[in-house]
Amino acid sequence: MLVAALVALVATGCSDDGAPAKGALTLHPSTDATSLGQPDEPIAGPQGRVPQFVVECGYSHAATDDPIVAPGEFGASHLHMFFGNTNVDANTTIESLADGDTTCDQRLDKAAYWVPALLRGPQVLTPVKSTAYYRPGLEVDPTTVQPFPAGLVMIAGNAGAAGEQPVSVVAWSCGAGITRAVLPPECHEGRNLRLIVTFPDCWDGEHLDSDNHHTHIAYSSQGACPQGYPVPIPQMQFSVEYPVWGPALDLELSSGGLTTGHADFMNGWDQERLTREVELCLHREVVCGVASGRVSG
Amino acid sequence: MRRKILAAATAALVLLGACSDDSTSDSASTDAPSTDAPSTDAPSTTEAAAGPLQVPADYPTIQAAVDAAVPGDLILVAPGTYPEAVQVETDQLTIRGLDRNTVILDGEFEMDNGIRILGAKGVTVENMTAMNYTKNGFFWTGVDGYHGAYLNTYRTGDYGVYVYDSVNGQLDHLYTAGSVDAGVYIGGCYPCNAVLTDTVSEHNGLGYSGTNSGGNLLIINSVFRNNRAGVVPNSGTYELCYPERETTIVGNLIYSNNQADSPSIDWALIAMGNGIVSAGGVGNDIERNLIYDHDRGGIVLAPYLEEDPNDKQPTPEQWTQTCDEQRQLRPEDPGEAMLWNSYNNRVAENVLEDNREADLIVASADLDESTLGNCFVGNTFTASAPRLIEALAPCEGTGTGSWLDGEYDIFSWLTTEHPPGVDWKTAPLPELTAQENMPDAATAPAHPAVDVPKQVDLASIAVPSKPA
Repeated sequence: MLVAALVALVATGCSDDGAPAKGALTLHPSTDATSLGQPDEPIAGPQGRVPQFVVECGYSHAATDDPIVAPGEFGASHLHMFFGNTNVDANTTIESLADGDTTCDQRLDKAAYWVPALLRGPQVLTPVKSTAYYRPGLEVDPTTVQPFPAGLVMIAGNAGAAGEQPVSVVAWSCGAGITRAVLPPECHEGRNLRLIVTFPDCWDGEHLDSDNHHTHIAYSSQGACPQGYPVPIPQMQFSVEYPVWGPALDLELSSGGLTTGHADFMNGWDQERLTREVELCLHREVVCGVASGRVSG
Repeated sequence: MRRKILAAATAALVLLGACSDDSTSDSASTDAPSTDAPSTDAPSTTEAAAGPLQVPADYPTIQAAVDAAVPGDLILVAPGTYPEAVQVETDQLTIRGLDRNTVILDGEFEMDNGIRILGAKGVTVENMTAMNYTKNGFFWTGVDGYHGAYLNTYRTGDYGVYVYDSVNGQLDHLYTAGSVDAGVYIGGCYPCNAVLTDTVSEHNGLGYSGTNSGGNLLIINSVFRNNRAGVVPNSGTYELCYPERETTIVGNLIYSNNQADSPSIDWALIAMGNGIVSAGGVGNDIERNLIYDHDRGGIVLAPYLEEDPNDKQPTPEQWTQTCDEQRQLRPEDPGEAMLWNSYNNRVAENVLEDNREADLIVASADLDESTLGNCFVGNTFTASAPRLIEALAPCEGTGTGSWLDGEYDIFSWLTTEHPPGVDWKTAPLPELTAQENMPDAATAPAHPAVDVPKQVDLASIAVPSKPA
């Protein structure tokens, strides 16, 4: 898989300079997500089956900024919806995250999380909330998982995907989302549509970022990280919930079509806290919190 | 009574509240304390301190005392308001308020858990109040040995007292009001080996909830009143360790659980107006409870519709599987909604009155109720659905009669308009009045939860009498 990945990476190249993005035109690297591997399958199942910790973050703000792909270039990106850190714009750096507040229920998580905006015609759909699930990669020994290094940035999924992306990386679902689909399914009333993006869970141990923002991280397979990526890190699944019921194929993402789902992350966690969460919730496998998850009145 | 489920009906109606892996997080404001030996400038040393750790005299916050404590220590908290979300990772602490009613942890509607015990064994928390937390008042998870006693919880966004994935515990002398989900929850354990006793739970979504728990789990001698629904154990694959099984519910006073102005989750809306609901529970023992004044049922053995399941249901052969065993199995996506039926429950010697649809109810949405193995004996009641339930489903011998006679329309739970949940931050609640203190709070020695649950003589428990 790795060989294929490298070939694909070379073949597709990257383009993170660029002009303001409209529609399918994007500033994101156009590497195919599969070029960096993909999880063997989505991690899903009952709460408590796999170790995890979870952070719920409300929607913060929208902006046509992207501090990873287009730093310093205000208005240069397609429209993004930001969660977690409230202080994110084109000029945001790892250092400046510390100055922001957070929309997360875990106040010591000041990370920036963002996804392209979901659109219905001209209407921008405001998300209900986001949920970040931090788990070991499938079959990865939980005790080997290390916290994200301070300053790590990641992109998962492919904003320039020409075709379908694997559902183990980018998927749509209704409700809890054990059943994942390439395109948004028709959710019935009371079960919100979700976009779920799964980040890589192996790090090269050296670079906090890379030119295309992908090659410093990779996905594990069969419980092992690929060569060159020796450090298992939490496999973060980022799920954004929209108040969308009923037919959904008329929706669009601001990055282009419905298959261009992706998500970005800048590690603004309190590093000590993140380390404790990894130790307690992943290494020691304490179920650090399950939510009722039920809709409350 | 074999009915086909209409997918559309289930889809549209959201029977279950269940769902998801959404989840809590950690304490909103506590930084991670250390489980290592305390720093050298702390008064205690690496052994249990000679005297208790006093808050705020010696430590300004409960968290500071917890961080300084070592296993075996007693932390004494003086009256006052503590805006904290305390995290405990040290085994065998005793955290005690000097006065249950005036030692108050206040989440100020921002912090998540009053005290969260995360994987620390044998921690006792007693004689204090937690209020205004966005998640839970007191929360044990991943522990062997826990004891919560003489605790009040008031206005909490999830549960009052929440115990998950924990075994060998005791909860007693609790008062909980104003939780969105349940006043008290014990879930995700089998065998749980735990007791809930001498508790009052009111004005919550559910008085008691226990998802996928059981096995020497006793819910006894407690009062569940004025909740949306009273005592509601259930099964579901949204959390591990299904099904709910072998919970013993004895000697409780359960009344007037029709409370339309309480906060609530969806499931409690649907279950509203019932005393005890076994929702897809297996092998529960429901005996000698006094249950009255409910708009729907007194004791209901009902199905639980899981709309978005994560796994198939265990077969009856797998009902004895422990949580750890089940955790090793790979979930299989059923791909569609599924119904958990209530099997093999025993309902005996309860006293029921004025449960206005029926005192005793057995219902399924897809199976013949006569095949579920539930039994009824020695209850004092007026009406059941189906009629003549004790003749149909005796606990010994073969039943006689028709299950179609007076069968219950469980679908009515879905098709009825339910009063919506009320914002937990502002829901009208009874004033938090002074509750009984633990004996000798100032002088009693530390007693970590290493010897719980206490032995219970179930046979000695009588049907409670009505309050004056």
